Amino acid sequence: MSTSVEAPAIPGMPAGKVGVWWFLASEIMMFGGLIASYMVFRLGSSGWHEASAHVSVALGAVNTLILLTSSLTVVQAFAAAERENAPALRLFLGLTILGGLGFLGIKAIEYTTEIRAGFTPGAGIFWSFYYTMTGLHALHVLAGIVLNAILFLAARVRTPRRVELAGLYWHFVDVVWIFLFPLLYLS
Amino acid sequence: MESGRRHPNYVKIWVWLLGLMAAGLVATLTPGGHAIGIIVIFATATAKALLVALNYMHLRFEPRLICVIALVPVVFALILAIALFPDFVFRR
Repeated sequence: MSTSVEAPAIPGMPAGKVGVWWFLASEIMMFGGLIASYMVFRLGSSGWHEASAHVSVALGAVNTLILLTSSLTVVQAFAAAERENAPALRLFLGLTILGGLGFLGIKAIEYTTEIRAGFTPGAGIFWSFYYTMTGLHALHVLAGIVLNAILFLAARVRTPRRVELAGLYWHFVDVVWIFLFPLLYLS
Repeated sequence: MESGRRHPNYVKIWVWLLGLMAAGLVATLTPGGHAIGIIVIFATATAKALLVALNYMHLRFEPRLICVIALVPVVFALILAIALFPDFVFRR
């Protein structure tokens, strides 16, 4: 019987991290395709600015602030995990989870307000794109919350690698929102 | 990034992110210069995304191949937009 250690896909790079980056690449293609379609449709017809004037810039800005701050807390969680500082790890993971929940809460308020005003997904092409892109993004935020919650519960076992990989996903979700905010709220 | 090697000043990056976010919001108030406002809004968004990717996702410390994995789909999305552009924008 022979024992062998699996060679890393990239020298000095754990296979898990390479895998996460491949996964993120597929996610970039998915959101990139959506964003590219949105931009092309928007440039090709009129009336978009009037429709987008009905979304709440203030709530969108608060959510941007929340996600940017949660990116800080999740990377601080990784730094804490590397220092093997379990209390700090739990604190920063907890703050990240709270940030994600806050984001989803505000998004729910926005959806409720918009749907009550008659801006349903069928109210026009802007709203179709709006609900598709923000809804898909919100599902990703939810998945990130679940990942971080699992790490929060397992924080005692000190797993910096897992915290880093979950953090990469969370930052990606943040980067997607960084582009969705100006596309849907500011232009 | 190899564990325990490099951690940039994360709080300083966050302050930059907030500043860029504020700049993007102020740009929406630009009187008369809508095109300039749009350019500033998307330039600040791109800068924010780069700051997060390079510092929080540690791309500046990763092997070049990881950067390639991240960049290739972005290029494909741009190709998609450019390929679709004439079909919708010039269709009458």
